Amino acid sequence: MPQLNPEFFVSQLFWLAVFFTFLFVFLWRVSLPRIATVLEKRQNKIDENLSSAKELQEQAMEIEKKINDQINKAKLETDEKIKETINALQEDVSSQLSSLDKDLEKKVSDAEKEILKSKDDQMKNINNEIANITKLTVGKITDIEMSDNEINKVIETHKGSFN
Amino acid sequence: MAAKDSPLKQFEIDPISNIELGGYNISFTNSSFAMLITVLVITLFLTLTVNTRSIIPSRMQLISELMYNFIAQLLSDTVGDNGKRYFPFVFSLFMFVLIGNMVGMIPYQFTFTSHIIVTFALAAVVFIGVTILGFINHGIKFFTFFYIPGVPFYMHPLLIPIEVISYLSRPISLSVRLFANMLAGHTLLKVFAGFVVSMPFFTGVFPLAFIVALTGLEILIAFLQAYVFAILTCLYINDAYHLH
Repeated sequence: MPQLNPEFFVSQLFWLAVFFTFLFVFLWRVSLPRIATVLEKRQNKIDENLSSAKELQEQAMEIEKKINDQINKAKLETDEKIKETINALQEDVSSQLSSLDKDLEKKVSDAEKEILKSKDDQMKNINNEIANITKLTVGKITDIEMSDNEINKVIETHKGSFN
Repeated sequence: MAAKDSPLKQFEIDPISNIELGGYNISFTNSSFAMLITVLVITLFLTLTVNTRSIIPSRMQLISELMYNFIAQLLSDTVGDNGKRYFPFVFSLFMFVLIGNMVGMIPYQFTFTSHIIVTFALAAVVFIGVTILGFINHGIKFFTFFYIPGVPFYMHPLLIPIEVISYLSRPISLSVRLFANMLAGHTLLKVFAGFVVSMPFFTGVFPLAFIVALTGLEILIAFLQAYVFAILTCLYINDAYHLH
Protein backbone atom coordinates (compact mmCIF):
# COMPACT_ATOMS: atom_id res chain seq x y z
CA MET A 1 0.00 0.00 0.00
CA PRO A 2 1.69 3.23 -1.13
CA GLN A 3 0.09 5.15 1.70
CA LEU A 4 2.26 3.40 4.26
CA ASN A 5 5.50 4.01 2.44
CA PRO A 6 7.30 6.63 4.53
CA GLU A 7 9.48 7.73 1.65
CA PHE A 8 7.33 10.77 0.85
CA PHE A 9 5.87 11.48 4.32
CA VAL A 10 8.01 14.52 4.85
CA SER A 11 7.27 15.85 1.36
CA GLN A 12 3.54 15.31 1.87
CA LEU A 13 3.57 17.04 5.24
CA PHE A 14 5.70 19.89 3.94
CA TRP A 15 3.51 20.66 0.94
CA LEU A 16 0.35 20.14 2.95
CA ALA A 17 1.59 22.69 5.48
CA VAL A 18 2.54 25.13 2.72
CA PHE A 19 -0.69 24.89 0.74
CA PHE A 20 -3.06 24.62 3.67
CA THR A 21 -1.44 27.57 5.44
CA PHE A 22 -1.63 29.60 2.26
CA LEU A 23 -5.27 28.61 1.77
CA PHE A 24 -6.15 29.41 5.37
CA VAL A 25 -4.46 32.81 5.36
CA PHE A 26 -5.86 33.73 1.96
CA LEU A 27 -9.43 32.79 2.87
CA TRP A 28 -9.15 34.39 6.30
CA ARG A 29 -7.70 37.66 5.01
CA VAL A 30 -9.15 38.03 1.52
CA SER A 31 -12.03 35.78 0.45
CA LEU A 32 -14.14 35.48 3.57
CA PRO A 33 -14.13 39.20 4.45
CA ARG A 34 -15.27 39.91 0.89
CA ILE A 35 -18.20 37.51 1.11
CA ALA A 36 -19.00 38.82 4.58
CA THR A 37 -19.06 42.39 3.24
CA VAL A 38 -21.41 41.43 0.45
CA LEU A 39 -23.73 39.59 2.83
CA GLU A 40 -23.65 42.47 5.28
CA LYS A 41 -24.32 44.99 2.53
CA ARG A 42 -27.28 42.95 1.36
CA GLN A 43 -28.62 42.59 4.89
CA ASN A 44 -28.30 46.35 5.39
CA LYS A 45 -30.08 46.98 2.11
CA ILE A 46 -32.88 44.61 3.10
CA ASP A 47 -33.19 46.19 6.53
CA GLU A 48 -33.20 49.64 4.97
CA ASN A 49 -35.89 48.68 2.49
CA LEU A 50 -37.93 47.03 5.21
CA SER A 51 -37.75 50.04 7.48
CA SER A 52 -38.61 52.45 4.65
CA ALA A 53 -41.49 50.17 3.67
CA LYS A 54 -42.68 50.24 7.25
CA GLU A 55 -42.44 54.02 7.32
CA LEU A 56 -44.37 54.32 4.07
CA GLN A 57 -46.98 51.96 5.40
CA GLU A 58 -47.37 54.07 8.51
CA GLN A 59 -47.71 57.18 6.37
CA ALA A 60 -50.27 55.47 4.18
CA MET A 61 -52.22 54.43 7.27
CA GLU A 62 -52.14 57.98 8.56
CA ILE A 63 -53.41 59.31 5.26
CA GLU A 64 -56.10 56.66 5.19
CA LYS A 65 -57.14 57.69 8.69
CA LYS A 66 -57.28 61.32 7.62
CA ILE A 67 -59.40 60.44 4.61
CA ASN A 68 -61.74 58.39 6.75
CA ASP A 69 -62.02 61.21 9.25
CA GLN A 70 -62.84 63.63 6.49
CA ILE A 71 -65.38 61.28 4.99
CA ASN A 72 -67.03 60.84 8.39
CA LYS A 73 -67.00 64.57 8.95
CA ALA A 74 -68.53 65.20 5.53
CA LYS A 75 -71.13 62.53 6.22
CA LEU A 76 -72.07 64.16 9.50
CA GLU A 77 -72.25 67.56 7.84
CA THR A 78 -74.44 66.32 5.02
CA ASP A 79 -76.68 64.51 7.49
CA GLU A 80 -77.07 67.71 9.41
CA LYS A 81 -77.76 69.70 6.26
CA ILE A 82 -80.32 67.16 5.12
CA LYS A 83 -81.99 67.26 8.50
CA GLU A 84 -82.02 71.05 8.50
CA THR A 85 -83.47 71.18 5.01
CA ILE A 86 -86.10 68.62 5.88
CA ASN A 87 -87.03 70.57 8.98
CA ALA A 88 -87.18 73.86 7.08
CA LEU A 89 -89.28 72.27 4.35
CA GLN A 90 -91.57 70.71 6.91
CA GLU A 91 -92.00 74.05 8.66
CA ASP A 92 -92.63 75.74 5.35
CA VAL A 93 -95.12 73.10 4.34
CA SER A 94 -96.90 73.20 7.67
CA SER A 95 -97.06 77.00 7.66
CA GLN A 96 -98.36 76.98 4.10
CA LEU A 97 -100.82 74.25 5.01
CA SER A 98 -102.04 76.24 8.01
CA SER A 99 -102.40 79.43 5.95
CA LEU A 100 -104.21 77.39 3.31
CA ASP A 101 -106.43 75.97 6.06
CA LYS A 102 -107.14 79.49 7.28
CA ASP A 103 -107.91 80.70 3.75
CA LEU A 104 -110.12 77.72 3.17
CA GLU A 105 -111.88 78.22 6.46
CA LYS A 106 -112.39 81.87 5.64
CA LYS A 107 -113.61 81.03 2.20
CA VAL A 108 -115.91 78.35 3.59
CA SER A 109 -117.30 80.69 6.19
CA ASP A 110 -117.70 83.44 3.58
CA ALA A 111 -119.48 81.04 1.31
CA GLU A 112 -121.67 79.88 4.18
CA LYS A 113 -122.50 83.46 4.97
CA GLU A 114 -123.29 84.13 1.31
CA ILE A 115 -125.36 81.01 1.15
CA LEU A 116 -127.25 82.06 4.27
CA LYS A 117 -127.67 85.56 2.89
CA SER A 118 -128.85 84.28 -0.46
CA LYS A 119 -131.10 81.82 1.34
CA ASP A 120 -132.60 84.70 3.31
CA ASP A 121 -132.96 86.72 0.12
CA GLN A 122 -134.56 83.82 -1.60
CA MET A 123 -136.84 83.29 1.36
CA LYS A 124 -137.79 86.98 1.23
CA ASN A 125 -138.41 86.75 -2.49
CA ILE A 126 -140.39 83.57 -2.00
CA ASN A 127 -142.35 85.30 0.72
CA ASN A 128 -142.97 88.28 -1.56
CA GLU A 129 -143.98 85.97 -4.36
CA ILE A 130 -146.19 84.05 -2.00
CA ALA A 131 -147.69 87.34 -0.87
CA ASN A 132 -148.23 88.53 -4.44
CA ILE A 133 -149.65 85.18 -5.52
CA THR A 134 -151.79 85.14 -2.43
CA LYS A 135 -152.98 88.73 -3.11
CA LEU A 136 -153.74 87.93 -6.70
CA THR A 137 -155.40 84.63 -5.89
CA VAL A 138 -157.45 86.12 -3.10
CA GLY A 139 -158.40 89.11 -5.32
CA LYS A 140 -159.51 86.86 -8.18
CA ILE A 141 -161.43 84.43 -6.09
CA THR A 142 -163.03 86.64 -3.53
CA ASP A 143 -162.90 90.20 -4.66
CA ILE A 144 -161.58 91.02 -1.22
CA GLU A 145 -158.94 93.67 -1.36
CA MET A 146 -156.31 92.72 1.21
CA SER A 147 -153.49 95.04 2.14
CA ASP A 148 -149.98 93.83 2.00
CA ASN A 149 -149.68 93.91 5.75
CA GLU A 150 -152.64 91.66 6.24
CA ILE A 151 -151.40 89.16 3.75
CA ASN A 152 -147.97 89.12 5.35
CA LYS A 153 -149.52 88.51 8.70
CA VAL A 154 -151.49 85.58 7.42
CA ILE A 155 -148.46 84.12 5.72
CA GLU A 156 -146.38 84.53 8.84
CA THR A 157 -148.89 82.63 10.86
CA HIS A 158 -149.03 79.74 8.37
CA LYS A 159 -145.36 79.71 7.56
CA GLY A 160 -144.60 76.72 9.71
CA SER A 161 -147.08 74.59 7.89
CA PHE A 162 -145.29 74.76 4.48
CA ASN A 163 -141.96 74.13 5.66
CA MET B 1 1.95 -4.75 -4.03
CA ALA B 2 2.52 -2.11 -6.64
CA ALA B 3 2.11 -4.37 -9.62
CA LYS B 4 1.47 -2.70 -12.91
CA ASP B 5 -2.31 -3.19 -12.91
CA SER B 6 -2.88 -3.12 -9.16
CA PRO B 7 -5.89 -1.01 -8.09
CA LEU B 8 -3.61 0.57 -5.51
CA LYS B 9 -1.20 1.85 -8.11
CA GLN B 10 -3.22 5.04 -8.41
CA PHE B 11 -2.17 5.96 -4.87
CA GLU B 12 1.53 5.87 -5.67
CA ILE B 13 3.38 9.12 -5.33
CA ASP B 14 5.53 10.24 -8.23
CA PRO B 15 7.89 13.12 -7.75
CA ILE B 16 7.53 15.82 -10.37
CA SER B 17 10.69 17.65 -9.33
CA ASN B 18 13.11 16.45 -6.72
CA ILE B 19 13.76 18.94 -3.96
CA GLU B 20 15.81 18.36 -0.84
CA LEU B 21 15.90 20.64 2.17
CA GLY B 22 18.15 20.06 5.17
CA GLY B 23 18.54 16.41 4.31
CA TYR B 24 14.80 15.86 3.98
CA ASN B 25 13.12 14.88 0.74
CA ILE B 26 10.49 17.48 0.05
CA SER B 27 10.00 16.70 -3.62
CA PHE B 28 7.11 18.34 -5.39
CA THR B 29 4.96 15.31 -6.23
CA ASN B 30 1.69 14.51 -7.97
CA SER B 31 0.11 14.76 -4.51
CA SER B 32 1.51 18.27 -4.03
CA PHE B 33 0.27 19.10 -7.50
CA ALA B 34 -3.26 18.01 -6.54
CA MET B 35 -3.03 20.19 -3.44
CA LEU B 36 -1.86 23.10 -5.58
CA ILE B 37 -4.81 22.65 -7.94
CA THR B 38 -7.18 22.38 -4.98
CA VAL B 39 -5.90 25.57 -3.40
CA LEU B 40 -5.99 27.39 -6.76
CA VAL B 41 -9.55 26.26 -7.47
CA ILE B 42 -10.76 27.38 -4.04
CA THR B 43 -8.98 30.73 -3.95
CA LEU B 44 -9.76 31.64 -7.55
CA PHE B 45 -13.39 30.59 -7.31
CA LEU B 46 -14.05 32.39 -4.05
CA THR B 47 -12.21 35.49 -5.25
CA LEU B 48 -13.50 35.80 -8.82
CA THR B 49 -17.12 34.98 -8.14
CA VAL B 50 -17.39 37.61 -5.42
CA ASN B 51 -15.27 40.09 -7.37
CA THR B 52 -18.20 42.30 -8.38
CA ARG B 53 -19.53 42.31 -4.80
CA SER B 54 -23.01 42.77 -6.22
CA ILE B 55 -25.96 42.90 -3.89
CA ILE B 56 -27.98 40.82 -6.29
CA PRO B 57 -25.62 37.86 -6.77
CA SER B 58 -24.78 36.06 -9.95
CA ARG B 59 -25.22 32.29 -9.87
CA MET B 60 -21.51 31.74 -9.20
CA GLN B 61 -21.47 34.35 -6.46
CA LEU B 62 -24.47 32.60 -4.96
CA ILE B 63 -22.49 29.36 -4.76
CA SER B 64 -19.73 31.09 -2.79
CA GLU B 65 -22.29 32.68 -0.50
CA LEU B 66 -24.07 29.37 0.00
CA MET B 67 -20.81 27.71 1.04
CA TYR B 68 -20.09 30.59 3.39
CA ASN B 69 -23.52 30.41 4.95
CA PHE B 70 -23.43 26.62 5.10
CA ILE B 71 -20.31 26.56 7.28
CA ALA B 72 -21.36 29.66 9.25
CA GLN B 73 -24.66 27.94 10.06
CA LEU B 74 -22.88 24.72 10.97
CA LEU B 75 -20.59 26.56 13.39
CA SER B 76 -23.32 28.63 15.00
CA ASP B 77 -25.52 25.53 15.41
CA THR B 78 -22.84 23.44 17.08
CA VAL B 79 -20.63 25.95 18.88
CA GLY B 80 -22.75 29.09 19.10
CA ASP B 81 -21.35 32.59 19.26
CA ASN B 82 -17.93 31.34 20.42
CA GLY B 83 -17.54 29.60 17.08
CA LYS B 84 -17.26 32.74 14.97
CA ARG B 85 -13.53 33.15 15.45
CA TYR B 86 -12.85 29.60 14.22
CA PHE B 87 -14.90 30.18 11.09
CA PRO B 88 -11.93 30.81 8.74
CA PHE B 89 -10.21 27.66 9.93
CA VAL B 90 -13.26 25.39 9.70
CA PHE B 91 -14.16 26.88 6.33
CA SER B 92 -10.63 26.33 5.00
CA LEU B 93 -10.65 22.79 6.31
CA PHE B 94 -14.03 22.03 4.75
CA MET B 95 -13.11 23.54 1.39
CA PHE B 96 -9.68 21.88 1.34
CA VAL B 97 -11.11 18.42 2.00
CA LEU B 98 -14.15 18.95 -0.25
CA ILE B 99 -12.27 20.25 -3.27
CA GLY B 100 -9.42 17.79 -2.62
CA ASN B 101 -11.96 14.96 -2.83
CA MET B 102 -13.57 16.47 -5.92
CA VAL B 103 -10.25 16.98 -7.68
CA GLY B 104 -9.58 13.32 -6.93
CA MET B 105 -12.74 12.41 -8.85
CA ILE B 106 -11.20 13.72 -12.05
CA PRO B 107 -9.86 10.67 -13.96
CA TYR B 108 -6.07 10.20 -13.71
CA GLN B 109 -5.95 12.91 -11.04
CA PHE B 110 -4.32 12.13 -7.72
CA THR B 111 -6.46 12.09 -4.54
CA PHE B 112 -4.38 13.47 -1.70
CA THR B 113 -7.15 12.83 0.87
CA SER B 114 -6.62 9.10 0.25
CA HIS B 115 -3.27 9.36 2.01
CA ILE B 116 -3.40 8.68 5.73
CA ILE B 117 -0.45 10.96 6.40
CA VAL B 118 -2.35 13.94 4.94
CA THR B 119 -5.64 13.27 6.69
CA PHE B 120 -3.84 12.45 9.90
CA ALA B 121 -1.93 15.72 9.76
CA LEU B 122 -5.18 17.65 9.33
CA ALA B 123 -6.85 15.71 12.15
CA ALA B 124 -3.81 16.23 14.36
CA VAL B 125 -3.97 19.98 13.78
CA VAL B 126 -7.62 19.90 14.86
CA PHE B 127 -6.89 17.66 17.84
CA ILE B 128 -3.91 19.61 19.13
CA GLY B 129 -5.64 22.92 18.52
CA VAL B 130 -8.78 21.84 20.36
CA THR B 131 -6.78 20.46 23.29
CA ILE B 132 -4.81 23.70 23.62
CA LEU B 133 -8.08 25.61 23.36
CA GLY B 134 -9.56 23.48 26.14
CA PHE B 135 -6.62 24.22 28.43
CA ILE B 136 -6.78 27.94 27.59
CA ASN B 137 -10.49 28.08 28.40
CA HIS B 138 -10.57 25.86 31.47
CA GLY B 139 -6.97 25.51 32.66
CA ILE B 140 -6.37 22.40 34.71
CA LYS B 141 -10.12 21.91 35.04
CA PHE B 142 -10.12 20.70 31.46
CA PHE B 143 -9.27 17.25 32.87
CA THR B 144 -12.77 17.09 34.36
CA PHE B 145 -13.82 16.53 30.76
CA PHE B 146 -13.01 12.86 31.38
CA TYR B 147 -15.16 12.75 34.51
CA ILE B 148 -18.78 12.01 33.73
CA PRO B 149 -21.09 13.46 36.37
CA GLY B 150 -24.12 11.54 37.62
CA VAL B 151 -22.49 8.13 37.38
CA PRO B 152 -22.06 5.82 40.45
CA PHE B 153 -18.60 6.39 41.95
CA TYR B 154 -17.45 2.78 41.47
CA MET B 155 -17.91 3.19 37.71
CA HIS B 156 -15.32 5.93 37.45
CA PRO B 157 -12.23 3.70 37.46
CA LEU B 158 -13.70 2.10 34.35
CA LEU B 159 -15.20 5.16 32.69
CA ILE B 160 -12.31 7.60 33.03
CA PRO B 161 -9.85 5.42 31.08
CA ILE B 162 -12.53 4.86 28.43
CA GLU B 163 -13.06 8.59 28.13
CA VAL B 164 -9.33 9.23 27.89
CA ILE B 165 -8.91 6.57 25.22
CA SER B 166 -11.88 7.88 23.23
CA TYR B 167 -10.48 11.40 23.45
CA LEU B 168 -7.05 10.29 22.29
CA SER B 169 -8.49 8.26 19.45
CA ARG B 170 -10.29 11.26 18.02
CA PRO B 171 -7.56 12.21 15.53
CA ILE B 172 -7.25 8.59 14.46
CA SER B 173 -10.97 8.14 13.85
CA LEU B 174 -11.20 11.53 12.14
CA SER B 175 -8.32 10.82 9.79
CA VAL B 176 -8.98 7.13 9.15
CA ARG B 177 -12.64 7.82 8.31
CA LEU B 178 -11.71 10.18 5.49
CA PHE B 179 -8.70 8.19 4.31
CA ALA B 180 -10.55 4.86 4.29
CA ASN B 181 -13.56 6.26 2.46
CA MET B 182 -11.40 7.73 -0.27
CA LEU B 183 -9.18 4.65 -0.49
CA ALA B 184 -12.12 2.26 -0.71
CA GLY B 185 -14.05 4.33 -3.24
CA HIS B 186 -11.14 4.84 -5.60
CA THR B 187 -10.02 1.24 -5.29
CA LEU B 188 -13.50 0.03 -6.11
CA LEU B 189 -13.67 2.31 -9.15
CA LYS B 190 -10.32 1.01 -10.33
CA VAL B 191 -11.31 -2.63 -9.81
CA PHE B 192 -14.46 -2.20 -11.87
CA ALA B 193 -12.55 -0.26 -14.47
CA GLY B 194 -10.33 -3.32 -14.76
CA PHE B 195 -13.44 -5.48 -15.32
CA VAL B 196 -14.56 -3.26 -18.19
CA VAL B 197 -11.34 -4.05 -20.02
CA SER B 198 -11.02 -7.72 -19.13
CA MET B 199 -14.63 -8.90 -19.67
CA PRO B 200 -15.34 -10.51 -23.08
CA PHE B 201 -17.33 -8.92 -25.90
CA PHE B 202 -19.87 -6.26 -24.96
CA THR B 203 -20.37 -7.49 -21.36
CA GLY B 204 -17.95 -4.80 -20.31
CA VAL B 205 -20.81 -2.28 -20.40
CA PHE B 206 -22.20 -3.72 -17.15
CA PRO B 207 -19.21 -2.81 -14.99
CA LEU B 208 -19.05 0.45 -16.96
CA ALA B 209 -22.63 1.27 -15.96
CA PHE B 210 -21.70 0.35 -12.41
CA ILE B 211 -18.75 2.76 -12.54
CA VAL B 212 -21.03 5.56 -13.69
CA ALA B 213 -23.39 4.95 -10.77
CA LEU B 214 -20.46 4.57 -8.38
CA THR B 215 -18.96 7.85 -9.56
CA GLY B 216 -22.16 9.61 -8.51
CA LEU B 217 -21.97 7.88 -5.14
CA GLU B 218 -18.30 8.84 -4.79
CA ILE B 219 -19.11 12.50 -5.44
CA LEU B 220 -21.74 12.27 -2.71
CA ILE B 221 -19.21 10.66 -0.39
CA ALA B 222 -16.66 13.33 -1.29
CA PHE B 223 -19.07 15.97 -0.07
CA LEU B 224 -20.27 13.93 2.88
CA GLN B 225 -16.78 13.23 4.20
CA ALA B 226 -15.83 16.90 3.96
CA TYR B 227 -19.02 17.71 5.85
CA VAL B 228 -18.32 15.08 8.49
CA PHE B 229 -14.77 16.38 8.89
CA ALA B 230 -16.05 19.92 9.37
CA ILE B 231 -18.91 19.05 11.72
CA LEU B 232 -16.69 16.87 13.92
CA THR B 233 -14.18 19.71 14.10
CA CYS B 234 -17.04 21.98 15.21
CA LEU B 235 -18.14 19.47 17.84
CA TYR B 236 -14.59 19.16 19.19
CA ILE B 237 -14.32 22.96 19.38
CA ASN B 238 -17.62 22.97 21.25
CA ASP B 239 -16.26 20.39 23.70
CA ALA B 240 -13.30 22.68 24.39
CA TYR B 241 -15.79 25.34 25.54
CA HIS B 242 -18.39 23.27 27.30
CA LEU B 243 -17.18 20.49 29.54
CA HIS B 244 -19.91 18.03 30.42
